[in-house]
Amino acid sequence: MSKSKLKRYNWFIFVLLFIGSLTMIFPFVWMILSSFKTVRDVYTYPPKWLPSEWKWTNFETVFRMIPFGRYYLNSIFTSVAQTFLQIVLSIFGAYCITFLDFPGKKKLTVLIRSTMFVPMVVTLVPMYLIVAKLHGIDTYGGIILPQVFSAFTLFLISSFFAAIPKDLVDSARIDGCGYFRIMGTIVIPNSKASISTAALFSFLGHWKSYTWPLIITNKDKYRTLPIGMKYLVQESSSEYQVMMAASVMAILPVLILFVLFEKQLVKSVTLTGMKA
Amino acid sequence: MKKVIIVLIAMLVATGMVFAQAATETAAAEARPEVVGIKIWYSISGANGEFFKSQVEAFLAAHPEIKAEEITYTGSYADSATKISAARLAGEAPDMIITSASQLYPGEDGNFRMEELAKDAELNYADFQEGILEYAKYNGQLAALPFAISTPIVYYNKDLVKKAGLDLVANPPKTWDEFVEVCKKVMAANEGVSGFDASDSVWLFKSMLYQNGNPVVEQKGETVTPVFDNESGIEVATYWKKLVDEGVMAAQQHDTAEKRFQAGTLAFVSATSNRLAKWAGNLGFELGAIEMPYFKTPSVALGGSTVTILATDKWKEDACWQLIKYVLNTENQTAFSLASGYLPIRKSSLENADVKAYIADSELYAVATKQLSYAWAYTHFGAMGSMDNFFWYALDNIESGKSTPAEAMKQAVKETIAEL
Amino acid sequence: MEKAKTIRPALSGAGKVRIFGRTYHRDQLLCALVLMIPVLVAVFMLFILPVIQVIRYSFTNFALNTGKGDYVGIENYKYLFQDERMFKAFFNTACFAVLKLVFDTGLALLIALMLDSNVPLRKFLRSTYFAPVVVPVVASSLIWIWFFDPDVGPLNQILGFFGIQPLGWLYSENTALISILIFSVWKGVGYNVMLFLTGLQNIPDSYIEAAKVDGASNFQSLVRIKLPLLRPITSFIVMIGIINTFKVFAEVNVMTPKGGPGYSTAMIVNYIYEQAFTRGKMGRACAASIILFVVIFIFTTIQSRLNSSKEVSYE
Repeated sequence: MSKSKLKRYNWFIFVLLFIGSLTMIFPFVWMILSSFKTVRDVYTYPPKWLPSEWKWTNFETVFRMIPFGRYYLNSIFTSVAQTFLQIVLSIFGAYCITFLDFPGKKKLTVLIRSTMFVPMVVTLVPMYLIVAKLHGIDTYGGIILPQVFSAFTLFLISSFFAAIPKDLVDSARIDGCGYFRIMGTIVIPNSKASISTAALFSFLGHWKSYTWPLIITNKDKYRTLPIGMKYLVQESSSEYQVMMAASVMAILPVLILFVLFEKQLVKSVTLTGMKA
Repeated sequence: MKKVIIVLIAMLVATGMVFAQAATETAAAEARPEVVGIKIWYSISGANGEFFKSQVEAFLAAHPEIKAEEITYTGSYADSATKISAARLAGEAPDMIITSASQLYPGEDGNFRMEELAKDAELNYADFQEGILEYAKYNGQLAALPFAISTPIVYYNKDLVKKAGLDLVANPPKTWDEFVEVCKKVMAANEGVSGFDASDSVWLFKSMLYQNGNPVVEQKGETVTPVFDNESGIEVATYWKKLVDEGVMAAQQHDTAEKRFQAGTLAFVSATSNRLAKWAGNLGFELGAIEMPYFKTPSVALGGSTVTILATDKWKEDACWQLIKYVLNTENQTAFSLASGYLPIRKSSLENADVKAYIADSELYAVATKQLSYAWAYTHFGAMGSMDNFFWYALDNIESGKSTPAEAMKQAVKETIAEL
Repeated sequence: MEKAKTIRPALSGAGKVRIFGRTYHRDQLLCALVLMIPVLVAVFMLFILPVIQVIRYSFTNFALNTGKGDYVGIENYKYLFQDERMFKAFFNTACFAVLKLVFDTGLALLIALMLDSNVPLRKFLRSTYFAPVVVPVVASSLIWIWFFDPDVGPLNQILGFFGIQPLGWLYSENTALISILIFSVWKGVGYNVMLFLTGLQNIPDSYIEAAKVDGASNFQSLVRIKLPLLRPITSFIVMIGIINTFKVFAEVNVMTPKGGPGYSTAMIVNYIYEQAFTRGKMGRACAASIILFVVIFIFTTIQSRLNSSKEVSYE
């Protein structure tokens, strides 16, 4: 690492990346600015960049209208639980289909992959009926369990597993390691970075999940943030500035998480056995 | 002899059991649980939803024998439909719902209990505005009651109109032809400003159909027939095309209509009446409203949500009914209307001092309440959601010039019939 | 996913089991059994059961608001194959899928490679490319709806600055789909950048350094080492890309709720949603999902075939 830092920076690439960067964050800046605007600021022509007055009113509105704290906690709890279970299941599945040989493996792989082909829109109703039969309406289990499996996460992890040098695994086997131990001591530690990426993606997916929690919960006690955000949006015409304030608050923890994870990403890459 | 005795005893036991069964049943039906729990789902979002909730809470405070197990916001109309349908399939349906066309649910079950309930003198059925009750019917029978009701209103930007030297308060355009002339004058006086648009084109179009003597659909017994492809329907469609061709209304820009209006680049917009509370005083220009222009007779199509009871349990139904009567009484409906911008649905609300003061004070609100006298609703039926979709495609094709007005109307009718 | 990766058992002959004429190793089987059981239970409960229902519904006229449905044979499929709008929706989806795949994969790889080179503020830059992924779709599409506004949006203002005629963006048949594509690439490219970057970071430095010692230029090490090692992740990204673009729904539904001008932005899942929830024709929606399922299945199978044949040519 230190060696490469001594090299000269590549300024040409930097300029390209920087222009790209500005494009990427422009809407983001707009969102933050808009969260301070008044209705009148929002609807002016030509568009106004800065709010006429920096006020926290929109944020207050959000807190006044929805039990923001409760929804927030629910969102964190359900997203974390879903992510955790999803990662565990995905590691199990990915390990099997990447490293182990067993009858029907090909067919199973196709089956698991096929689960991605079905749009959520149609399985919504059948899934609701199943959960209702199991008395899962208005429970954390009812929110979490139907979303614990994702073939996407499984194959994502599997494709990272596939990049682990084969010698590493084979030599462990020759040393007499059992298959469970290979998973625990070789495969997982060697793909920490990838697993954290997968976990982050999985978390993001759950964090924004709206339709399922909406139909499966009725009580405020179990409702999540995206439902609250929809509540703030009036039918057909939106309280744009309030919505922006809610969005800013909703994405803040995700951004923090991302920053934390990034450190973890970099660290785990340098710690892997492959670097040696 | 033995056999006879056995048979007799058996019969005795059997009848005894039947009676015992019946006795427990009637007991179950008669004994009212000390506290009846009901589940309420509604799809009114934001501050208006909060206001409704506070009314429910006030009711519950006065009725300790009724408890709300749930007061749940169910999302947009589309989300609510999904949620309610799924819950009904699973046998988890709520006891009372407020959403768009809520009467479809009991209606399609053939459940018209509301006809009976509405006879309750306390409800004062006759006090509802004419036409509005039609909005809560299913195939001509009452299956819900109106709750949060709105109509389209033509709002305008007074600053832009003033520049054209017009005074629409003293001299409002009455017919569409007059309105188009006004639009052209305003556009001529303000460079870069467009004339008119509707944020909900289908809603406006249906109003226009009625103004031209076209009832959208006709009902004979159980069968509903769309009729907007006849001469009077095509006339309206042709007029729609004329609005685009003469440059008064931009083609295919309905989704931006309200935004352009708020930004001051659109002079007239047809939008729901509950924008009234939100816009008045919050825009960078003075807001005005005129009564909806018309062809032959003034008319506006109703919109908004209705309230109905899904509970089949006698006591739950009764509890819901008590609550409905409460939120629909003159005092509460008036308060809800004033707070939300939804329209007063009772005639007696218009007698209320606050409402009178508001009407006198706000020409916008005055226009909205005046329109109530000629608001109407067409027959609600199962495929009306589909019909609205086909309307939208038809108008889109007319505006882009892909179909002639006649072709588009014929196509939409054909598709609607296929869905029935 | 790749056969070649299967662990070679240490001792030949130990604990062999023959099933259907093939030899397996007992320990492996045991391990696979234990690990796969929870996965299979989840797949069964969360997918197979609901999908069986979907298949059943697809042969009925199941209506959402009545909850009743009678068997109607292949009536739904017949309707769909006569419905112009379904074909239009499939066509739109295919156009969108091709463009999005090209941009999402190509652009992401390019950005990832640039980010992997030696530039200042690398961490900051990387975060900015990822930031859009984090913003909830509803919020970010609201922002972009604003940007795209022909009259009051900043995009036309910027075009005007360069003397370019204003565009209709979401509100014109020619540009609506492209506008959604722009939004979608903005929103999604960071996802793939992260995946590629993770892949690049997993490449041991020693490989690259060894190549340098052998006198390989940057470009050569890119083509000979980095790209081949990125193959598994690339093929994964392409597969997921196909599946996800065929299932694209949320952004289109928010930005152009009724399928856009001239139905030009309606995607197949929007069509399914419209049938199921706007029109209440659940049976028909289920039939359309089965068709979608088959289409995606065909495309991903072709893709994985292409990919595995490539693999052979490499080794």
